[in-house]
Amino acid sequence: MRKGEIIIRDVGVCFRLYREKVTTLKEAVVHRFRHLRSAENFWALRHVNVSITPGEAIALVGHNGSGKSTLLKTIAGVLQPREGEVLSAGRISPMIELGAGFDPELSGRDNVYLNGALLGFSRKQMEAKFDGIVAFSELGDFIDMPIKNYSSGMYARLGFAIAQDVEPDILIVDEVLAVGDERFQEKCKARILDFRSAGVTFCFVSHNLEAARSLCPRAAVLHHGRLAFDGPIEQAWEKYRELERGPMPGPQINVAAS
Amino acid sequence: MKAMELASPAPAALATESPKRPSPLRELWSFRQLIALLVVRELKVRYKRSVLGLLWTMLNPLLLMVVYTVVFSTIWRSSFRNFSLFLLSALLPWLFFNTAVLQGLFAVISNQELIRKVRLPQAVFPLSVVGSNLVNFALSLVPLFLVMAALDQPFTPALLFLPVAMFILTVFTSGVTLFFATATVFFRDVRHLVEVMLQMVMYLSPVFYDLRTLGEPTTWWFPLFKTCLQLNPLTYMFSLIRDPVYYGRLPELSTVVIACSAAVFSLVVGFFFFQRLSPRHIHYL
Repeated sequence: MRKGEIIIRDVGVCFRLYREKVTTLKEAVVHRFRHLRSAENFWALRHVNVSITPGEAIALVGHNGSGKSTLLKTIAGVLQPREGEVLSAGRISPMIELGAGFDPELSGRDNVYLNGALLGFSRKQMEAKFDGIVAFSELGDFIDMPIKNYSSGMYARLGFAIAQDVEPDILIVDEVLAVGDERFQEKCKARILDFRSAGVTFCFVSHNLEAARSLCPRAAVLHHGRLAFDGPIEQAWEKYRELERGPMPGPQINVAAS
Repeated sequence: MKAMELASPAPAALATESPKRPSPLRELWSFRQLIALLVVRELKVRYKRSVLGLLWTMLNPLLLMVVYTVVFSTIWRSSFRNFSLFLLSALLPWLFFNTAVLQGLFAVISNQELIRKVRLPQAVFPLSVVGSNLVNFALSLVPLFLVMAALDQPFTPALLFLPVAMFILTVFTSGVTLFFATATVFFRDVRHLVEVMLQMVMYLSPVFYDLRTLGEPTTWWFPLFKTCLQLNPLTYMFSLIRDPVYYGRLPELSTVVIACSAAVFSLVVGFFFFQRLSPRHIHYL
């Protein structure tokens, strides 16, 4: 595999839904582990096949609960597929949520190093990046204040500043561009375009056609965990609109054979 | 729905080239700096806004020891020379083990926000708990040495064995911590079970007594108790520390061998279970 390539091969992600939530041993024993048998399988994704070549940009669209975020999390390696496999090569920078892993008690400075380590960077590498991150975040002297004193905009700015500086081969973005003021949003978009021209693979979840079209020529439409369409973004959008107008049967739950 | 499933392609064969997934150990090793940072974070957050800060780590065992010395030298007279030191030499490692396991129970659960969003080996969380408690344990050696000096306890070269002893105990504790950390994710009441068990284990471990000084060999419970102690890995762990500190000698080779085997066994079992179950954690958080 080449760096930046993603192959999603017949992926199924299954959540077990329990009619009765059992979290204690006593309940489990009293009900003689019935909850294990009565569990129902909910396939958030099933039989999804997508191949993404290095440097390609793809938007994932679909209504709420169609499995977009599940697919992103599976690509990022946070969720393991029950069926099929997700293969990817290269460093993945997940912007699934900005500032995931920030500790509110620690200063911005400490959090930069902590977040860097979470993404697999050594202290030395982060020291080299530190000034650039602070400059991008425009936090100035606030960098040495505890994060809990930050405004939500400052929080997101620091999160994006870290995420944009990790030299990814694959960039995964889950509608995080709606952070900060307009000027900062423009800055984020410009940075993502930089990545695009540098040949970084880009996966983007959005409900906003304008944002998606300006970044991605290709789109995959998910509908109830199935891949409904994969191709040029204009046609994908039509398909998405059409599905949206159609009946909404709600998520399907398949009762597991016990 | 069913028909759709049947019509869909069968799971792809695994024959095609798969990029090598890093082995769990190698992946964990690449995140060692994260463990260090998490340890620092825990220490920083724990002592935030406290005037004495890290000094508490040293004051705590010292104050504890004053209490125990008063209790055991006035109310329950002990025939031991320097009983407080005898006690402390096993109490400190016990506190390390006990606190690490208890805090480790929630290591995965309390970091669920991260686990949902970032791909990383989840073992870093319980291991960082062990790490921060190891720092506390190491710092508590300072008051231990102060007490040794105050009580005219000889400082022998055997004390140089202490780092090795602490390493073995840390390996053992890591395994136990990993095991119960993953168990707690699936059943939250593991916590209550472990709390009670730890109390029992403390009294079944040679903290307040010693195998050699244990009651009358003629009583009916003595053989039972002795077997218990001999099966308890902590007996050997504590000997590794009590021998150099209190008796001023190296532990016996057999003790070291048993302790090492127990430590390796614990880590292998704990890590194996944790690694096998951690992909499923996310569904139970």
